[in-house]
Amino acid sequence: MNKSFINLENIDLIKQNKKIIHNFSINISFGQKINIFGKNGTGKTSILKLISGISTQSSGDITVDINTTINNDLFYIGHKYGLKNELSVSDNIRYSLDFHQRDIKDKGIIDELNYYGIEDKFDSKVKYLSHGQKKITSLVQLSLLKIKIWVLDEPFTGLDQNIIDSFIKKIELHVAQGGAVIVTSHDQKDGFTNIEL
Amino acid sequence: MIKVFFSIILNDMKVILNSGTKIFMPIIYLLLILIFFSISLVNTTIGGYDKILPQIIWLSCLLVSLLNMESLFKEDYEDGTLEGLIINSHTLEINILAKVISYWLFTIIPLVVIGFFANYLLTSNLGASLVLVMSLLLGTFTISLIGSIAASLTLSIKGNNLLLSTIVLPMDIPVLIFGTSSVYNAASGVNYDSELLFLLLLLVLFLIVSPFASALGLRNSLD
Repeated sequence: MNKSFINLENIDLIKQNKKIIHNFSINISFGQKINIFGKNGTGKTSILKLISGISTQSSGDITVDINTTINNDLFYIGHKYGLKNELSVSDNIRYSLDFHQRDIKDKGIIDELNYYGIEDKFDSKVKYLSHGQKKITSLVQLSLLKIKIWVLDEPFTGLDQNIIDSFIKKIELHVAQGGAVIVTSHDQKDGFTNIEL
Repeated sequence: MIKVFFSIILNDMKVILNSGTKIFMPIIYLLLILIFFSISLVNTTIGGYDKILPQIIWLSCLLVSLLNMESLFKEDYEDGTLEGLIINSHTLEINILAKVISYWLFTIIPLVVIGFFANYLLTSNLGASLVLVMSLLLGTFTISLIGSIAASLTLSIKGNNLLLSTIVLPMDIPVLIFGTSSVYNAASGVNYDSELLFLLLLLVLFLIVSPFASALGLRNSLD
């Protein structure tokens, strides 16, 4: 069993006098695929934000393993995909590679876009892409960066079945290589450790 | 860390150049304000216009630079890049400084250039125009740093532009005092060194304080 890298214990989250998360505990290790599922408004996104360190809990403890640094090892894709509308797909990907100090040639980017079948969008501006294509671009960014922990908010919505299948293959490969994946969705997913909220 | 710093500036430059309006609209707005000042003041200050023109330019630059201040973090907040910046920054403060510098370089420096030409063409006093450039460079950088604190605090509020200006303007008063008096002294042929040094002092002060305050504000706005 792999060592856990983050441990949430008895987490409460209160926002504007409303309890969003009540007494939630989870222990996540490398090599795990976790699917946090639940109805709308049950606090799935809030948990991802707590794990990523964007929000802070009202009470409870979050411990991160000493060998893991959230800055380096965690990548978060939320409802917004973190892409600049004015820039092309390649510029966006190039920027995030520079930001994380990864050195990848254009060929590598095109291959990755090709995997999802949008290699012709290499030079198009993000504002001309469809909703799904934007999402795919952010997934391409994700797999190019080779970051250990993936935190993805509803990655499977808005994509067609082929893309979802290709992406799940990517997730399985990533987990087999010792990464960890945390996703949210509205129902249980096969092959994931399902946690209901 | 230096590489990340420059990659942020480069990326912001690309975004600003690609949008076009972000560079040209403030310039056009500044020119319009200057024309409006000239029209409204032409009768009242015959002979004195040369002397107050640098101050008018200074004040107009300050007001125009406030118009855009909101966009400093707003777009990043809306397209989700800000979350990535906060999660994956080793030192968020340095990266915020990079964002402020790119904002200053690509939206405010053009105003300073226009301000220089407007002053030089209308007063043909090269010395005073160069002092205007010096004090505008120091002053607008300080204003951008102050603005980044306010922009980070008001980020999650919709229609925040007025609130932002209300927070920023009182803090800009010292900058305005030393900025306008330095150009007035230069236009009158008096020594202006101490005013510029005070502007430099304010710049250094906010250079130290602002990144930390903005980082706190951003973390709070996203919470």
